Amino acid sequence: MNAMSNVILKITNLKTHFFTRRGVVKAVDGVDFELRRGECLCLVGESGCGKTVTALSILGLIDSPPGRIVDGEVRYDNLDLVKCSARQLRQIRGKEIAMVFQEAQSALNPVLTVGDQIIEQMKIHLPMEHREARNRALSLLEEMGVPSVERVMSSYPHQLSGGMKQRALIAMSLTCDPQILIADEPTTAVDVTIKAQILDIFRDLKAKRQMSLVFITHDLAVVAEIGDRAVVIYGGKNIESAPVSEIIGSPKHPYTAGLIGCLPDISQTTDRLASIPGNTPSPIDLPQGCSFHPRCSKVMEVCSQREPAQIAISQEHQVSCHLNQ
Amino acid sequence: MTRRLRDIARKVGRPLYVNRRLVNYYWERTRRNKLAVVGLAFILFLILLGAVGPFFTLDPTLVDFEQKNLPPVGFTTLKSVYDIETDELATSEVRGIWTHPLGTDSKGRDMLAMIVSGARVSLLVGLIASGIAIVLGTIVGVLSAYLGGWADNVMMRFTDIMMTFPFFLLLVLIVFIFGPRLVFIVLAIGLTGWTGTARLVRSESLSLRTREFVMAARAMGASDGRIIFRHLVPNVVSLIIVIATLSIPGVILAEAALSFIGLGDPTVASWGIILEAGQHSLDTAWWVAVEPGIMLFLTVLAFNFLGDGLRDAFDPKSNI
Amino acid sequence: MGKSWLRAYILKRLLYAVIIAWGILTVTFVLVRVGPSSPADRYLANMTASGQDVSQIVEAIEARYGLDKPMHEQYIEYMGNLFQGKLGWSFSNSMPVIDLIKTHWIYSFQLILLSSIFAALLGVVVGIYSAVKQYTKTDYIATFFSFVGISLPNFWLGVMLILVFSVKLGLFKTYYDTGLPLFSLDNLKALVLPVMTLGTGMLAGYVRYTRSAMLDNLRKGFVTTARAKGLPERTVIGKHVFRNALLPLVTIVMFDLGSIVFGGAYLTEIVFGIPGLGQISFNAIFANDYPVVVAVTLIGTSIVLLVNLVTDVAYTYLDPRIRYD
Repeated sequence: MNAMSNVILKITNLKTHFFTRRGVVKAVDGVDFELRRGECLCLVGESGCGKTVTALSILGLIDSPPGRIVDGEVRYDNLDLVKCSARQLRQIRGKEIAMVFQEAQSALNPVLTVGDQIIEQMKIHLPMEHREARNRALSLLEEMGVPSVERVMSSYPHQLSGGMKQRALIAMSLTCDPQILIADEPTTAVDVTIKAQILDIFRDLKAKRQMSLVFITHDLAVVAEIGDRAVVIYGGKNIESAPVSEIIGSPKHPYTAGLIGCLPDISQTTDRLASIPGNTPSPIDLPQGCSFHPRCSKVMEVCSQREPAQIAISQEHQVSCHLNQ
Repeated sequence: MTRRLRDIARKVGRPLYVNRRLVNYYWERTRRNKLAVVGLAFILFLILLGAVGPFFTLDPTLVDFEQKNLPPVGFTTLKSVYDIETDELATSEVRGIWTHPLGTDSKGRDMLAMIVSGARVSLLVGLIASGIAIVLGTIVGVLSAYLGGWADNVMMRFTDIMMTFPFFLLLVLIVFIFGPRLVFIVLAIGLTGWTGTARLVRSESLSLRTREFVMAARAMGASDGRIIFRHLVPNVVSLIIVIATLSIPGVILAEAALSFIGLGDPTVASWGIILEAGQHSLDTAWWVAVEPGIMLFLTVLAFNFLGDGLRDAFDPKSNI
Repeated sequence: MGKSWLRAYILKRLLYAVIIAWGILTVTFVLVRVGPSSPADRYLANMTASGQDVSQIVEAIEARYGLDKPMHEQYIEYMGNLFQGKLGWSFSNSMPVIDLIKTHWIYSFQLILLSSIFAALLGVVVGIYSAVKQYTKTDYIATFFSFVGISLPNFWLGVMLILVFSVKLGLFKTYYDTGLPLFSLDNLKALVLPVMTLGTGMLAGYVRYTRSAMLDNLRKGFVTTARAKGLPERTVIGKHVFRNALLPLVTIVMFDLGSIVFGGAYLTEIVFGIPGLGQISFNAIFANDYPVVVAVTLIGTSIVLLVNLVTDVAYTYLDPRIRYD
């Protein structure tokens, strides 16, 4: 099958800036990627690199002011979501493209019951009776492996455990059978055993429902486990994108290599975890040239002068680094 | 009022030692809020007016029935005069004159002089009464937090009792019982207005009590008194500054309101007293009620603007 | 679950309210007794003023009011009388204080009720709008006017409204007539200016409180979730944000009752000659009729006490997270 026709979401040169008193925060400054039908695409990067803002930009959920999408295109189903009216966007949100947020604790409204919050969405997008919507909510919760679903439906968020809340949130996102599911670090705020269960849920979604997934994470172990392809984001730009096996097996960008170096490998006994020196750059004044050069171990003179262009190493593997020019 | 203060100040209260850099930083932040600067400028002007104004104005107690009910400069009123010769009521137009730029009241007293001397009274009442309230509230709050246990319980229950009284109704009762003398009025406001401060300072001190530097001081064997005065009190200073700024207008208004219902000190020309007299002569001399009210309003507004700016400067996250 | 803890909680609050009530009565008793002129002196002053022979009635008064007894007996008697609803005798009205209050409370209630409705409806709407449009011109204007509103001395505003509308324009010249029904057209007309007077300060307060409570919740995670579900903005603000903002709002509004509303109503009644409790207390001050002044303070305080109790209990229904122990 032709790869292009298989693309369900295509993001081109997306730039989302926040105009604050202290300056323009270029949270997302030129991100490109495409999501193919039925695949799981991972957006990888440290916190503050622009992953979440990218996800919010797709659905036009940036708080404005101070934020604004200043450039770029989000193409979904012959529509450019950046140019869509608020009304068109509302019909896509939750129904065509759904989102699961990082912290279930704050993502759920504390004064409404979980059931109320799940059913609410169906009533807006689907011609459903209350009874019908409720049954669907119950069966979805069951599918998520929630025990005593009736009780969970009538509970308030604070009465549930973190894992339960995350499951409820995922169930909520699935109510309208969306084409695309964007998951923003759904495994970060839960502990290790729950994390494995949540990952299983996502694997199932892909396998059983052929769901197209955008999975945002900072954790390469998670990427290795669930991703088909990965896009590494740094300083608001994607610096490397490739199938997961290639990213992990032969990373071309020193930053990606650094991230992989950070993975604890239990087969080797090292005294300390490797880490990338320095911090993520402030998005207000990104470094000149390649924004990674102050932290890069293989920095060259050209790195601080010119921004590297994106080059294709293979059809599936792009990287923006002077080392590969 | 106190509730608002509590919500506001709960979020305030960063350590403000005698630290020039920190003070400068807060001042820079306050300065960004233009309304706060305008408020501060007006308050400084008012203090100057109260301090040196009376030396330049006429005697505010000087009665002159020849010059009664003169309008402010730029205004005219109609005045009916009974003419014995013709046995008729003659209506004549009266213009404001520069001798009495803000006009005169029904006894011919100079309004400008009365407003200026009223500024002195209102500011003194505001500063002294909130001073008493804040010192009391800080003592109760810090002690309550520091001692804990039954002492804390007793003090907080008493605070609850005092807080349940509607502030103004309690003031009316106290001033009614003890008599309308300025000393009693100031004391009454000071002795009833401390509850909000006490609650705020207590909760702030409670959170400070478990902070590292207090723990460290205690571990080094500092005495209770030293911990309270060297570590707890200095750290609630920024909180207290905000409470003070936001409670002074309430105090000034309370005194004016008491005067307005006849529980003011009749020997002192406060704005409330002038206003009370003015409301009975609305049809003959409207300015007597308008002028002190405008001053009262601007003063309260200035303190609210400044307090809001200070609160923002101390804690930019809060938005009440 | 179950609501057994709620019953225990209410009982506990009731007990607590009784203790506070006892404290209030004691404080009042002490205040009256330590005052420079005893209640008997006040009576005597009035009796002499009306030309009666003091020596003949002094013993009668002392005996009647028990002022010749030791302090602790007076205290017990005072408490006992209050529990039976005996608030004393108003000589300036020649009737028991309790009867005086029974005939006049309704006018205060009417004024406060109408002002509260006016202020709450308008204040909440403006506050929500101002918060949603934060940092726009509308928001600045609303904020500025709410500052003006809370800074206006309400008795002066009343006098100014009379000056402008009654004296200069000749509008609303009607006075409150107790001979007419409460909600007769004439009395409602007479209440227009008083409601504006009392309502303005309350309105300004509600705008500020609503705005800040809304802002506290407007950037929370669950709001983004609600938007990501495709809910219309009206539902996001009205259901998700406002439900959460309602809780702090209720507390502040109830707290204002004692500190702002009662004081404001007292003064407003005096300015406009509305025959409520403020007015009778005001008249009693001039007549040196101390039982009336004490009674009005006690009534106001008891209402605050009751309202606090009701608010505490109402909170358990409004906020599912709260569980008192």
